[in-house]
Amino acid sequence: MENKNFDVNKLLEIQDVSKHFRVSEGILKAVNHVKLDIYKGETLGLVGESGCGKSTLGKVLMGIYMPTEGKLVYHGKKEMEINKKTHFEYSKMAQIIFQDPYSSLDPRMTVGSIIEEGMIIHKMYDKKRRQERVYELLELVGLNKEHANRFPHEFSGGQRQRIGIARALAIEPEFIVCDEPISALDVSIQSQIINLLHDLQKKLNLTYLFIAHDLNIVKYISDRIAVMYLGNIVELASSKDLYENTLHPYSQALLSAVPIPDPDKEAQKQRQILTGDVPSPINTPKGCPFAGRCPRATDICRQEKPVLEMKQGHLVACHHVESR
Amino acid sequence: MNKVLEVNDLHVSFDTYAGEVKAVRGVTFELHEGEVLAIVGESGCGKSVTAQTIMKLNPMPPARIVSGEIQLAGKNIVKATEKEMMNIRGKDVSMIFQDPMTCLNPTMQVGKQLTEAIRHHQNLSKEAAHKEALRLLELVNIPNVKQRAKQYPHEFSGGMRQRVMIAMALSCAPKLLIADEPTTALDVTIQAQIMDLLQEIKEKTNTAIILITHDLGVVASMADRVAVMYAGKVVETGTAEEIFYRPSHPYTRALLKSLPTVEMDRSVRLVSIAGTPPDLLNPPVGCPFASRCEHAMKICIEEMPPQFDPSDNHQAACWLLHEDCPSKKDGGE
Repeated sequence: MENKNFDVNKLLEIQDVSKHFRVSEGILKAVNHVKLDIYKGETLGLVGESGCGKSTLGKVLMGIYMPTEGKLVYHGKKEMEINKKTHFEYSKMAQIIFQDPYSSLDPRMTVGSIIEEGMIIHKMYDKKRRQERVYELLELVGLNKEHANRFPHEFSGGQRQRIGIARALAIEPEFIVCDEPISALDVSIQSQIINLLHDLQKKLNLTYLFIAHDLNIVKYISDRIAVMYLGNIVELASSKDLYENTLHPYSQALLSAVPIPDPDKEAQKQRQILTGDVPSPINTPKGCPFAGRCPRATDICRQEKPVLEMKQGHLVACHHVESR
Repeated sequence: MNKVLEVNDLHVSFDTYAGEVKAVRGVTFELHEGEVLAIVGESGCGKSVTAQTIMKLNPMPPARIVSGEIQLAGKNIVKATEKEMMNIRGKDVSMIFQDPMTCLNPTMQVGKQLTEAIRHHQNLSKEAAHKEALRLLELVNIPNVKQRAKQYPHEFSGGMRQRVMIAMALSCAPKLLIADEPTTALDVTIQAQIMDLLQEIKEKTNTAIILITHDLGVVASMADRVAVMYAGKVVETGTAEEIFYRPSHPYTRALLKSLPTVEMDRSVRLVSIAGTPPDLLNPPVGCPFASRCEHAMKICIEEMPPQFDPSDNHQAACWLLHEDCPSKKDGGE
């Protein structure tokens, strides 16, 4: 966590949180004993394949889902444990930006009322001031006043994502979960949104949890990155360390699978191709969750689940990483 | 090398209540045996419409081929009837789609679907076609083919379904395979598997591939040649090396710069292209990129630039490459 000026204050403490869902085939362990601290002012990247539980974890941190086990402690403006009672109060501190800018905006509401809604719910300001806030927010995200009376269908994907960001900022949160905010956008628009998120973070001192599967973007925007596999965090390190000295075999495979937009580098690259698919998170076997696809797996991996521990400056959960 | 496909000045429009949407406005390219051509561009740039027109999968109306010709294995298919197309599709050209779930019949066993496709084009007995289906499933690396062939699409994962789609597309050894965003719906580790498979198939069968994608990383890993599309036009074409290392069109340059590389951190600001692509109901007369281009000149707004050749195997439609352009001397940067 070098070259970074975020203070070392914890914003959110995730204490051994699990989220399980009961399904007809058994218990689906979407998030499994996650221990993680999020610091004020940082961007924490969360990567993994679909179904690894990254969005579920994001929703648990938002208070949308209550954890099955463990607890969440919020250290922001006020210290509190997040539960059903404090959820409403907490929702004023934490907001979310969704992946799909088409389905996450109510098509029958004007942009102005979409942005204003959160402020009404939290009884912020009077009507006149709220109107002013809507205009300020629209300008803050690069739209303008006139857009307040229009409907979402009149906007392009990138503009809708800006509206989603304005809505998230309306109640002045400290913490924003960005759940794949750019995956649905075109390349030339992605960089606009990334730059906007970065500017807003500097201006408003926000903390982001940035969930994505595009690893190049996550590397660019994050201070630290957590890699998830089948509901477990398998590696956590500063983004520079994670890329330069990848320790967990899954992180290595994930990074090597990302195609680089450079034909020469692509031709030289030794790609490590994982066989098979992510196993089902229902009734997972004991041992390391990655053992079934891991090229380095041995008996111990199939018997005993590795714990997330500090090795070579990373937090990593693997039996085969030397702790130097 | 034999020419498999030649598309000449293709114009495709959609007639809608709002007017005529000119989705493809003069696309020209050709493709040889065993070659991979990547068509890249943003959504709405006409890349998928171009591909669907080669298969004639667009419902007509509202779609309409305004002018141009498509020479596929020596035949001009623009005039081909639906009946003739039924024989061309699958045999000469086949396609794999972005979302494999919606392209497979959910009520039919995977093996049966494959057998059906094979029997439509080849005069084989049921048993022989079934055997062929199993061989194809093995070719695309599906384990336990005998059991798997009896399963339904919902029992397959996304990557597996895409493999089935590829097997089906290959069933009649087409000369041309169109892959329309084949990996967009998949995870990176699965994407790597599918890209590997396509590469392997290309080497084994010498099929020409058109790869449609917006992921420049995927392009770099597979394409021999690249065509960059913008607002219904091909703005730049060339070998992958030319496009990635010596891009000539400002749009291509901006697109490449807008991607963060692994070496970059947040101290370097990403280049973003302001604005949005033009409305194809009323496409601009001049260069479609002029309104977003930082180098735009008066002529760019007034007249569409012709194709210039910055080097061998490389064409770009940009006035900056004209010999009278003052900035040409400093390399067009």
